[in-house]
Amino acid sequence: MRSPGSVIRFSLFSAVVFFLLLICNTREAKAIKIGIVDTYSGPAAVFCKDALKGFELALKEINKEGVLGEKIEFVTRDDKFKVDLGLTMAKELVMREDVDVLVGTMSSGVAMALSQYAKTQKMPFLVWLSKSGRITGEKGHRYVFMTTENTTMVAKAAASALAGKPFKKYWIAGDDYEFGHAIGGALWSHLKKIKPDVELVGESWWKVGEPDLIPYITNIIAADPDVLISCTGGASMHNIMKAAKSTEMTKKLPLWIHGATDYLVIKPLGKEAPEGVLSTVPYLYYYPESPQNKAFVKAFEDAYGSPPSFMAFHGYNTANFIAEAFRKAGSKDKEKFIDALEGLQIETPVGKVEMRACDHQAVLPIIFGVTDVVPQYDFAISINNVILSGDDVMPSCLEIEKARNK
Amino acid sequence: MNGNAAGCDEEDKTMENAALDLGTLGANCFVGLSRTMILFIVSSGLSFILGVMRVPNIAHGSLYMIGAFAAYSIAELFGGSTVGFWIALALSPVFVGVLSLIAERVMFRRLYQREHLELILFTFALMLIFGDLVKLVWGTDYKSILAPDMLRGSVIVFGSSFPVYNIFLIVVGPLVGVGLWLFTATTKMGKITRAAAVDRDMVDAIGINVDWVFCGAFVIGCILAGLGGALVAPTVSITLGMDHTIIMEAFLIVTIGGLGNIAGAFLGSLIFGFSQAFGVYLMPQFAIVFPYIAVVIILLIKPKGLLKSAS
Repeated sequence: MRSPGSVIRFSLFSAVVFFLLLICNTREAKAIKIGIVDTYSGPAAVFCKDALKGFELALKEINKEGVLGEKIEFVTRDDKFKVDLGLTMAKELVMREDVDVLVGTMSSGVAMALSQYAKTQKMPFLVWLSKSGRITGEKGHRYVFMTTENTTMVAKAAASALAGKPFKKYWIAGDDYEFGHAIGGALWSHLKKIKPDVELVGESWWKVGEPDLIPYITNIIAADPDVLISCTGGASMHNIMKAAKSTEMTKKLPLWIHGATDYLVIKPLGKEAPEGVLSTVPYLYYYPESPQNKAFVKAFEDAYGSPPSFMAFHGYNTANFIAEAFRKAGSKDKEKFIDALEGLQIETPVGKVEMRACDHQAVLPIIFGVTDVVPQYDFAISINNVILSGDDVMPSCLEIEKARNK
Repeated sequence: MNGNAAGCDEEDKTMENAALDLGTLGANCFVGLSRTMILFIVSSGLSFILGVMRVPNIAHGSLYMIGAFAAYSIAELFGGSTVGFWIALALSPVFVGVLSLIAERVMFRRLYQREHLELILFTFALMLIFGDLVKLVWGTDYKSILAPDMLRGSVIVFGSSFPVYNIFLIVVGPLVGVGLWLFTATTKMGKITRAAAVDRDMVDAIGINVDWVFCGAFVIGCILAGLGGALVAPTVSITLGMDHTIIMEAFLIVTIGGLGNIAGAFLGSLIFGFSQAFGVYLMPQFAIVFPYIAVVIILLIKPKGLLKSAS
C-alpha cells in the first residue's frame, strides 16, 4: 500500500514531465529535411560520395541565408545498388524521418522503384544521378523530377554527333540493366531516324560491373564493326577503357562511352587512358572556362582538395533547385514546392538551367568530345568539345505526353 | 530489351561468321585461359583451406580484394613504375599472409571444430567487416595500377589483339599450381598437412603440433588469394565489390572440382573460364549464364565434384 505522500510526489513528477514534453513538441521548429537514398558501398560509391560533396557545398552557402527562416538538413541511406533495399530506405525516410523531399539514386532500377513509391506517397522525389529516360519519360509523373541528364538526351546528342562521322556498322554493348538498355535503345532509334542506312552488326550485354571485358572486346573486334557503342555505367566505364587500352582496341575501332571523360572516371587511368575515345558528358570542370564554372571549381577544390566530377555538379544543382523552389513556394507544403519547381530556372556552373514544367526534366547541355593525353594534366582530357544545348537534345513535350499516355 | 532493335537476324549472321572464323576461336581459347588462371590461383587457396581444415572461408574473396588494394598502395609507394609493380607483386601476398596469420591466431584457431553453418556465418560476417575496413582505409575511389613496361601492349594471337599481360598470367597460373602440388606432394611440411587433413588426431598423437600445421595451411591459402588479387590488379579497376564476385566463382569452382583437390580447382577453373569465353563468343547477351549452366550440368552428373574430394 503506497503512502499518500509518494502518490502525490509521483503525480507531480508525471505532470511536470508531461508538461515539458508538451512544450518541447509544440515549440520545436522543424527544419527542412531532405532524405537521400544512394549507393555508398560497392563500386558506385565513389560517384555518390562526390554528388553528396557537391550537395553539401551548395548547402553551406544556402544555409548562410537559410530557407523560409530555417536551415536545410539532410540524412542519407545506403541502398547498396539494390532495389529492395532502396525501397526499404525510402519508406523509412518518408515514414519515420518525415522528410520533406526525397533525393537519389545512382541506380536507374532503384530510381524507377522509388519514383513509383513517391507517387503513392505524394512525396517529391528528385533524381540526381540515375539516367534512364523512362523516369521522366513514359514513367514520369507529378512527383518525380530529374536534375541530371537522361539517356534520351544523351542518346540524341551522341546520335547527332555520330551521324556526322563515316560510321555505318555499329556494335552496341554494355551493362545488362535499365541504364544500359535505355541508352543503347534510345541511341539506336535516334540514329536510325537521322541516318537510316546504319547497320547493327551485333550486341553484347554483360553483367553490371563485369571486371573482365577482354573476351567481349576480342569478339567485337573480330566482327569488324566501324564503331563500338558502350552503354556502360559506374565501374564498367572504367573497365571498358582499361580493356580497350590493353588490347589497343582504340587504334582500330572507335569507341563511344557516355561519361568517359568525367574526372572521377578517367583520373585513375592516368596517362595510360586510351586516346581517341568519343565521349559525352553534361559537365567538365575545365571546359568551358566561364566565370561561374571557375568559381564553382575553386570553391569545390578549396573544400575538398580535388576538382568536381559531373556527379558533384548534379549534387550542387539539386541543392539549389530545392532551396530556390522552397523560397519561391513560400511554404513547406509539398504541392506548393512542386508547383514552384516546375519551370524554375537556377544559376549553375554551366549557366542558367531550367526545370522543364511538362516533364520535370532539367534542361542540361551535353558536351561531346574526344579523349586526349596532354602534358598539362596527369590524366586524359576531352578535346574538340562541341556543346549541344539542352533544348536541342530533349524530346518535345508532345512526345513526352504521348509516351506517358500510351 | 530496349537495345535489341535488330532482332535475331543479325545475331544469326554474326554466329555464322564467327563460327567460320577459326582465328577468333583460337583467340577465345586464349582469353578463356588467362581468365582461368586468376580463378585458379584464388580457388586453389580456397580449396586448400577447405581440404585441410574444412573451413569454408567466405572472407577469402576479401583477401583477394585486399591483395589488389595493397598492390596498388605498394606500387604507388614506388612511384607506380615497373619496379613498383614487381615489388607490389612480391609484397602484397606477404601483407595478406600476415593479415591472415593474425586472423587465424586470434579467431579461426578456435573454430575448427565448429559446425559448417557456424563457420559460414562467421566468415560471411568477416567478409562484410573486411569490406568496410577496405572502404575506410582506401576510400571509395577507383584505383588503377599499370602493368610493368615489359608486359604492356598487345600481340597478335590468332589474328586478334591480345594483351601481353594476359599471356604472363597464362604462364604464372600453372607455375603456382605446380608449386602448390610440389609442396603438398614432396615436402615434409606438405605431407604432414595432407595427413592432418585426413586424420587430425593421429597426427596430434604422433607429437606434431597440428595447431601450427593448420595455421600454416591457412596462411598459405590466404597468400594465394592475395597473390590472385595482386596479379589481377593491372587488368581490372580495383574497387569495392571485387570480393563478392570472386568468392561466388571460387566456391563454385571448388565445388565442381572436388573439395580440397588442387587439380580439381584447376579443372574447375578451366571449365569456368572457357565456358564464359565461349559464351561471349556464341551468345554475348547470355554469356554470363554459360559457366553456371556448366556448373549445374556437372553437379547433376557428379554431385561430389569431378575429381576426388580430399576427405
